[in-house]
Amino acid sequence: MTDEFSSVWSYRLKWLYLLLLVATLMVPVFYNLYISFNKFGFGAYNYEFTLQWYSVVFQDQLLLSAFGWTMLLALCTVMTAVPLGLVAAKFFKTTRFKVWFVALLLLPLFVPADIVAASLLVFFKNLSFSLSWLADMTGLSWLGGWFDLGFMTALIGLIIYTIPYIFIVILITMGRYHPQQTEAARSCGATAWQAFRDVEFPQIRAGIFSAAAFTIILTFNEYTRTSMLKGGFDTFTSVLISQMLNTGMSEQSYAMGGIVSLVAILTIGGIIAFTMLRVQSLERTQRLKVNADMSG
Amino acid sequence: MKNTTDIAVESIGLSKNYGTVTALKSVDLKIASGQYYVLLGPSGGGKTTLLRLIGGFLRPTNGQIYLHGHDVSNVPPNLRPTSMVFQSYALFPHMTVAGNVGYGLKLKKLPSAEIAEKVVAMLSLVGLSGFEDRLPHELSGGQQQRVQLARALVLESDVILLDEPLAALDAKLRKDMCFELKQIQEQVGITFVHVTHNQEEAMTIADRIAIIADGELIEEGTPQDIYREPVKRFTAGFIGENNIVDGKVTAVKGTQAKVDVGSTTIAANSRSKNLSVGDQVAVSIRSELCRILGENEKNVRNVQKIPATYVEEFFLGLTVSHLVRLKTGADMIVRESSDRAGTSEFSEGDDIYLAWELGDARLHTS
Repeated sequence: MTDEFSSVWSYRLKWLYLLLLVATLMVPVFYNLYISFNKFGFGAYNYEFTLQWYSVVFQDQLLLSAFGWTMLLALCTVMTAVPLGLVAAKFFKTTRFKVWFVALLLLPLFVPADIVAASLLVFFKNLSFSLSWLADMTGLSWLGGWFDLGFMTALIGLIIYTIPYIFIVILITMGRYHPQQTEAARSCGATAWQAFRDVEFPQIRAGIFSAAAFTIILTFNEYTRTSMLKGGFDTFTSVLISQMLNTGMSEQSYAMGGIVSLVAILTIGGIIAFTMLRVQSLERTQRLKVNADMSG
Repeated sequence: MKNTTDIAVESIGLSKNYGTVTALKSVDLKIASGQYYVLLGPSGGGKTTLLRLIGGFLRPTNGQIYLHGHDVSNVPPNLRPTSMVFQSYALFPHMTVAGNVGYGLKLKKLPSAEIAEKVVAMLSLVGLSGFEDRLPHELSGGQQQRVQLARALVLESDVILLDEPLAALDAKLRKDMCFELKQIQEQVGITFVHVTHNQEEAMTIADRIAIIADGELIEEGTPQDIYREPVKRFTAGFIGENNIVDGKVTAVKGTQAKVDVGSTTIAANSRSKNLSVGDQVAVSIRSELCRILGENEKNVRNVQKIPATYVEEFFLGLTVSHLVRLKTGADMIVRESSDRAGTSEFSEGDDIYLAWELGDARLHTS
């Protein structure tokens, strides 16, 4: 709310505060990017723009393989967790026990990542052991191996991690959706699925795509759970962090950090730009029609 | 299947519970085909629950619903021969007016040309020709409701359900839309079931009215019957502006009963009710049929009267209301046309009589 009687300096100070806050949050990211484009690397007196460190990253087979695994994990997480989060959000809108529902669904967010990861690790180890024993006892060999540490366990860990975020993002978009529209569609002869596909989905699409984008970013950035549950393969972040721990920050590390940051910034920036352009386009169309009416 | 083809909607023992809360208590209702039927009652009375049960948006706890003789109690909304018009926010905002109206036809997989033809015809019927390419947010509230109506009518369903369709409109537009709804219904001849809490709206459009309150069907009849001869005390209190006095029957002679109302005894027609001395009853008189007699007129004969005190006068534009207070403390209203009303001859605190003709009073036993 704007207080029209407040001083103009108060208004300017608020903007100054906001810009300083954003700058404080973003300076490390941009500093990392700045270094990643310097031919002479971190701490050098001279600066010469280069893409060579990025080139090194994209020529490194280990990193490319890790990047591939990370993308695959991200895609599988999106394909699984987004529908699950959507169903949870839809159920939340209709349940009478909203407080309990939210509390239970968001609870995993409040448990430290290493605790969740360690718990899942022990759980999968025991489950894997039990299933292997059962496979040996019954001769049903297909029972074993499902929960050996690997892609499947890392995926489950990421699904558990991302669902609460997806739920919140979709729920925010759903807040503007009126359920009468679903009933109106049913009244027109639509099945529940047709009503969702034709009426609800187009209106919450932005939330679902935002949740998907956010899930990709979360998957890229996640280290603790993925490292403990991934088994034998590497992800982009796990390579980056192990390089930092083992050999310290190299120019290549800054470039890898830059890639992760750019993926996040471009995804979120793209969504914001698309949304703003869409709103402007709708407003322009509306104004044109109103003008046409008034002149006609 | 029941053999009652001229009955469009029938409910038998229909009830709906939400946990321990009973929203509708065993309602039996018959709506004839082609009628404009209004479910009228106070908010939270159960009328929308009844409408939603008919439309298939709720599953009955007990009882059955028949549409043209077919039991649809467990049939989902998309498979019922009904279409619904909602109070607001029910147009699909991402679709144009034509898209909204043609949506149901598209689901029926009609050819595009036929859909376009029907949409144009229906928009013409509701007075929105040329609005095909507009988006819902580019329409006024009244236009949006017309689009909803067109969307329901274009499907040629047997029954159109309207859930407070005019509640979000301003008073003037609501009045205009009432007339239009009635005209359209008469033109298409489809059964309309309309929910409202606004009695003026109900009176304007209804062929028949059902009063729903506390989850029960209180009374049902034509608007004239409901207004002039309400059977139940609740109806008399809800419809129009009635003065209601409670009392006890002290004598019954032929078709007339004497009722002790505290400060005096009045006479009322028993309306074919089996009355006994000692029965608790209520007597209602429409405010426009009451008049005020001064102290000097207390011997006027052939009228029923109760001693009272004059309180004050309210100018309401079309009418003037006079507030009088009975000796029991109950407030009563006497209403007259403002054109006929001069400056009141009574002042606050004057002893007066609230009077009416014998035939104007209605006696209620429940």
